[in-house]
Amino acid sequence: MARLLNAARTPTHCAPAADRGVRALAPSLLLALLALPELLAVPAAPAVAQMNDLDATIDVRAIASDGERSYLDGGLGLLRFDENHQGLRIGELRLGYLGQFADIVHVTVEAVSYADGDRLPLDPTEAFVEIRPFPYLGWRSNVKIGAFYAPISLENRLQGWRSAYSLTPSAINTWIGEELRTIGAEYDLDWLGRQRGHDWEFGVGAAAFGWNESAGTLIAERGWALDDRQTTLFGYAADLGVGPTHRPRPFYWDIDRRAGYYVDGNAKYLDDLELRALHYDNRANPDVYEPALNDYAWHTWFNSAGARWTPAPDWTVISQWLQGDTCVAGLLFCWQYGSEFLLGSWQYGPDLLSARYDDFQTHADHPAFIAGVEQIGHAWTVAYERELAHSLSVLLEAMQVDSTMPARLELGERPGAVERMVQLAVRWDINIYH
Amino acid sequence: MRNNAQRRAGTHVNLRLRRASQSVNWCSVLCAALALLIATVARTADLSISVLDAHGRGVAGLVLVAMPDNAAARKRIGRVAVMDQINMQFVPDILVIQTGSSVDFPNSDQIQHQVYSFSAAKRFQLSLYAGHKYPPVVFDRPGLVTVGCNIHDSMLGYIYVTDSPYFGRSDAHGQLTLHNLPSGSYTVTAWHPRLEEGSANELHLRTTVVESEPGTVLFQLRRTVPISMPPHESKKWLDY
Ligand SMILES: [Cu+2]
Repeated sequence: MARLLNAARTPTHCAPAADRGVRALAPSLLLALLALPELLAVPAAPAVAQMNDLDATIDVRAIASDGERSYLDGGLGLLRFDENHQGLRIGELRLGYLGQFADIVHVTVEAVSYADGDRLPLDPTEAFVEIRPFPYLGWRSNVKIGAFYAPISLENRLQGWRSAYSLTPSAINTWIGEELRTIGAEYDLDWLGRQRGHDWEFGVGAAAFGWNESAGTLIAERGWALDDRQTTLFGYAADLGVGPTHRPRPFYWDIDRRAGYYVDGNAKYLDDLELRALHYDNRANPDVYEPALNDYAWHTWFNSAGARWTPAPDWTVISQWLQGDTCVAGLLFCWQYGSEFLLGSWQYGPDLLSARYDDFQTHADHPAFIAGVEQIGHAWTVAYERELAHSLSVLLEAMQVDSTMPARLELGERPGAVERMVQLAVRWDINIYH
Repeated sequence: MRNNAQRRAGTHVNLRLRRASQSVNWCSVLCAALALLIATVARTADLSISVLDAHGRGVAGLVLVAMPDNAAARKRIGRVAVMDQINMQFVPDILVIQTGSSVDFPNSDQIQHQVYSFSAAKRFQLSLYAGHKYPPVVFDRPGLVTVGCNIHDSMLGYIYVTDSPYFGRSDAHGQLTLHNLPSGSYTVTAWHPRLEEGSANELHLRTTVVESEPGTVLFQLRRTVPISMPPHESKKWLDY
C-alpha cells in the first residue's frame, strides 16, 4: 500500500508550488493511475528471490515379522525386517534441503539414515540442481543435473521419494529405490495445455547418466523385493549372501565409461489422470570386468508404464508395469524380469486407507543352476495412515509376500515362502529452518 | 513530465484563465452525472439467475455475467479482489472481476510460490515469494486469464475479466441475484472451466431488464453429475 501511495505522490512533487492543490492533484493522480499497470506488471522490487528450507523426518517403528532371513542379512527373504529383526526399529531418519535461488534455480539434497550399519551414518539419496524458467507461451524447459530419480514412480510422492500411500512401496518402486539413480543430466519439455484452456498436458524428457552399471545385480541375485530402504549414493546396496558379489560394496560405480540413457513421455488429463512411459538402457558393456568390485558391468534395459487415476477427489488408483532384461559377462547370463501392481487409496478426512496387489517374476535365460535366481511371486499390502497433527502421523501396515525361488534350496530353505509383516510407524516431520 | 514542464512555463494569467474554464466544466460534468445517477436509480431492476442440472438441482460455482448491450451502462468500478494460495491451491480458484480491477495474490503457505500467466488478456509473473510481497496486479483487458505456479503445476486459477459491472458466482443452490441493473437488453453468460456444455465452456442467454420488474434467467444444463472440482492435493506431495 505504501508503494502505491508513493507512486501517486511522486508527480505532485514535480509540480510548482503555486499549482499545488486539489485541482493540480487530480491530473497527477490520473497520470499515476495510468502508469500503475506498468508499475505493477513487473515486480516493483527486483529482489533476488531466495529460500532455504531444511526439514527432517523421524520415523520409528514397531515390527512384527515372520519373514525368511532378509536379503539385507545374507538371506533370500524379500522383506526389510525378518524374524530376527522385530521389535522397536528406526524406520528412517531423513534430512531434506530445498534451496531456491535467482528465481529459476532450485537445489534439492535428500539424505537418510537407516541405522543399520551402512557405510555412512547419514548419506544422500538425491542431490541435484534444477533449472526451471518461466513457461513461454505454454512451453517450459526444465534441466536437472546431479543425482535424482527417473520419472517412473507414481506412488513415491513424499519428500525424500517416500510412498504417499504406505510404508513399503511396490516391488517395482522398491527396485527403483535400490538400484536406479540418474547420476547425470535430464532435460524435460512440458506443454502446459491447461494454461491455454485445453484439458490435456504433455511432456517429454531425456537423460544421460553414468555410475549405474550395477543396476540389475539385485534382480539377478535376489529377484524382486518389497522394502522402503533406498540405496544411498555412497552406501552399499545389500549384503547379499549368494551369487558372485556377496561382499558389501559401494553401489553407484562407473565401470565402463559409457553413458546410459532414458527417454520418457507423460500426459495429464485435468486433475483426473496421469500417464507415464519410459524406456531405460544403461548401455553397459557386459564384457567389462571391474576388479575393485569383483563384478562385471550389468547391461540393463527395460520399459515401464504407469497410470494414476483420480476418479473422485478422495480416491486414487495407481497402476505401474515394468518389463526388462539384464545381462552380464558378455551376454552369457541374462535375466528377464517383470512386475506390475494395482493400488487403490481412499482419503477420509485425516484417514488414508490404501491397498495394493503386486505381482512379480524373474526368469533366467540360462540354466538357473549356473548362477542367480528364478523367482515368481505376488504380494498384498494394506496400509492405514492417520494424521494426528499437522506434522505427526501414525501408519499401520500389514503385508504378505508369497514367493517361490529355487535358489533358497542352496540356503537349506524351502523354495516357497509366505512372509508376513506388520509395521506400526510414528512419523514426525520437523521444520528445522525456514 | 511534459505537462509539468508546460505548467512550470505557464504564467499566472494562463493559470487563472484555466481555473475559470475548469470550474465551468466541473459544474456541467457534475450536473450531468447527477442527472444520470437519478435517471439510473429510477430505471433499474434486479435480475435472478438460476443454474440447474438435468435433475433440477442447483449447480454451484459458475461465473455469471449480465452484459448490457448499452455500453454506457458498463460503468467502471475499480476494485481489488484477492486470490490467496492455501495448501498449494489458489483460493478461490475462480474469480470474476471487472476490467480495470486488480487482484492481490498473497501466499498463505509456508512454501514459496511463483505465480504467472501467459494468457492473452494478461501476462505477468511474480518471482518466488511467500507472504504478501507484491502489490495487486491490474487486469486491464477483458478475457479469461489462467493463473499458474511454476513450481507446482497442479496449481491452477482462473480470472474471468469482463467489461460488465454486473457479475457473480452461483451459490450452493445454483442462484445469483444481481441488483439494480439499468433497464435494457442483456446477454447473460454462464462460464466454468469444467462446464463442458456449449462452446468454450460458456453458455449465453438473452434477456431484457424492464424497469422495477424483477427478472429471471434460467440456465438448464444437460449434465446430471456435479461439476467436479480439482481433488485435494496434499501439501506434502512433490512432482517426482
Ligand atoms: Cu506453487
